[in-house]
Amino acid sequence: MQMDAIEAAAVLARARQGDSDAFRVLVERHSRNVFRLAFRMTGNEQDAEDVVQESFLRAYRQLGRFESRANFGTWLYRIVVNCSVDLMRARQARQAQARIESLDELDVIPTPAEGPGPERLAQSAEIGARVADAMSGLSPLERAAFTLRHYEGRSIDEISRMLGLRTSATKHSVFRAVRKLRIALAVLK
Amino acid sequence: MTHYTEDDLILYYYGEGRRRGDPSTSSGSPQALWRDDVEHHLETCAACAKAYRALAETLQLVPVIDVPEREESYGLDVWQRIRSRLPEPVVPWWHGWFGWKRLSLAGAAVAIVIGAFVAGRMWPPRAPASPVVAVDPNEAGARVRLAATSDHLDRSERVLLDLMNAEGQTVDLTDQQAWSADLIDSNRLYRDAAARAGDELVANVLDELERSLLEIVHGPSMPKAAELDEVRARVDLAALLFKVRILADELHEREIAPTQPRKIT
Repeated sequence: MQMDAIEAAAVLARARQGDSDAFRVLVERHSRNVFRLAFRMTGNEQDAEDVVQESFLRAYRQLGRFESRANFGTWLYRIVVNCSVDLMRARQARQAQARIESLDELDVIPTPAEGPGPERLAQSAEIGARVADAMSGLSPLERAAFTLRHYEGRSIDEISRMLGLRTSATKHSVFRAVRKLRIALAVLK
Repeated sequence: MTHYTEDDLILYYYGEGRRRGDPSTSSGSPQALWRDDVEHHLETCAACAKAYRALAETLQLVPVIDVPEREESYGLDVWQRIRSRLPEPVVPWWHGWFGWKRLSLAGAAVAIVIGAFVAGRMWPPRAPASPVVAVDPNEAGARVRLAATSDHLDRSERVLLDLMNAEGQTVDLTDQQAWSADLIDSNRLYRDAAARAGDELVANVLDELERSLLEIVHGPSMPKAAELDEVRARVDLAALLFKVRILADELHEREIAPTQPRKIT
């Protein structure tokens, strides 16, 4: 659904006044992008669906705080990121025993006995599985920071603003995520 | 020769850091990475170049995440799932004053006042009656306090809203700081009055509000986006805007029908 800027502003203004039909237009317009980001952040379809719903509910509750001069998509993006982090924290708390806890644990992933070279493996499911394993071992903030930096191409400053972290903390999250991924993928090289 | 750390190389890989000659670099932190320096170093240092190649090869192995496609109708599906769960939206305090219900009530009030005035002019004067209802001075004082405090909260909410909605790389908060400075003195008076009246709820919110107002006054007038975000995060974390808004509404209601102050649970 395409809307020009004036129509979009009018819809947003109505939504901010509590017009649920106007909010429905916003939901229909942004849902697919929200799902894409939520899936990249959580790595799980069901979790992504939960994030989509929670993000729109949160956005609706906070519409009064949204400044109409700002970009609704960017504002919503930030909400999605924070909902994803909240969900990952809750999930990690539930699955604390199952997840990979530290670099040390990543270190002991068994080396495949025989296998094709890295060029072939680059396309293989094994890399995907190892990355998924390593990603599930990241803390929610590490995962969020890495996803936003690596997949979404956001700068460290932007990520810091989205996550409400200091720049140094954001960098640290990215560094730790990269180190864990390097260890997980080292055996393939 | 000073070698670059893995962290530096990760930042370099992701295009972070500033180039020499970038004017924003002069105000940057000592840790700011100079891409030109790294580039030059990688050309001359075999060990760092090898480390960088290894890092880049690994990160290039990280596959693109295959996101499941959603159909065109997905937005409608989402809407149908959330529509019954939509809460009452939190709208800016002044929006309510322009609602048709408020306007019609105001219109009715004006009509009654005009009607009473006209009737008073037309009816013959009568001897004044002695008052039959004594006004409790404590209750009158409480009403005045509630009215003044709710007005104060409305003004404070506007400052907080300005802060929360400010946009841009650098924001000029000079007006908000002056406004906050004005509000701090009255905030202390109302907080003390609420405490004396045993109104713990009001006193606590005003106490939190004072801390935020002080932070605004003593913070930079032109904060960078990151600095502003830190202040906003603290306001957000304390749900201060929400508390101020709810308390203002409650005080408006208490003005109409005063009750014993609530205790915080």
